[in-house]
Amino acid sequence: MRSTTRVSAALAAIFSLTAAAAQAQSASISATATVYQAMTVTGARTLDFGNVFPGVSKAIAVTAATSGQFSLTGQSSANVNLTFTLPTNLTSGANNLPIGTWTGCTNPTNSTAGCTAFTPSASATASAFSGTGALWVWVGGTVTPAANQAAGTYTGTVQLTAAYF
Amino acid sequence: MRRCVLLTAFALLAVVRALTGQTQVTAIRDLAFGAVIRGVQTTVAPSDPIKSGRLYVRYKIGGQVQVAFTLPTRLNRVAGGGNMPITFASTDAIAQGTAGSSQPVTFDPNNPITFTLQTSADFYINLGGRVTPAANQATGAYQGTVVLTCTFF
Repeated sequence: MRSTTRVSAALAAIFSLTAAAAQAQSASISATATVYQAMTVTGARTLDFGNVFPGVSKAIAVTAATSGQFSLTGQSSANVNLTFTLPTNLTSGANNLPIGTWTGCTNPTNSTAGCTAFTPSASATASAFSGTGALWVWVGGTVTPAANQAAGTYTGTVQLTAAYF
Repeated sequence: MRRCVLLTAFALLAVVRALTGQTQVTAIRDLAFGAVIRGVQTTVAPSDPIKSGRLYVRYKIGGQVQVAFTLPTRLNRVAGGGNMPITFASTDAIAQGTAGSSQPVTFDPNNPITFTLQTSADFYINLGGRVTPAANQATGAYQGTVVLTCTFF
């Protein structure tokens, strides 16, 4: 009788275990975000090559008084990626004036002294805002007029896109 | 006869233990919105390979798994002093088995759903969402917790 009771108890335990087949498990992840103040990007100065002559290339360095300049404001000390959309020609009506050999420089202060050089392109260049949320960017380049370049005023657009990262 | 019954009982116990050991729920990646701008709603798609949240679930082919999220409604500023709404749309979760023939299943993370594992014994769940910082939202890092509970049948 005792043996029968022990067997019955064992079988009851087994059935109770198999009846509880549902098992729960959990895992957690975080949801994170960093709030920044909005960024502003302003074209502060035109890249101006001035007078150029047929067949004579002319370069404007980032340190020149007529280099292009952008001013940015944003979240203090935040990292920012800079990308450029650059023309391959300046145009005057149907006439093209090739432009290239782009140069760039960034500084958290409004001075090219000690600025960080880079090559403007469609690929991102990493930079950062100053502790007061400021950043300046200078752009230079070279125009290459043909020997028979038509006279006229040639223009183009340099676009800077900045994004936090 | 008695000995046979006892041996059978122990064998059954051993089988039950092995089944429960097959389950797994593992966190892989946080849902990371990154930099968000005051006043600008920011969305992370569940298909985002970097920013979406990701978890791994393993059971057995032929098994059923009910998945249920516990989702935050706000992210709290880590340094204190504010919070920010976070919401999840009905298409903000994707389940994808690891078998080559598995098709992704988009589902609503706000409601539990049960999957029957037909071709893969394991699958990944990706989670997207959106945050809505106020125009005067305090800057800084914000955080919340997402819990995935799986019930295995």
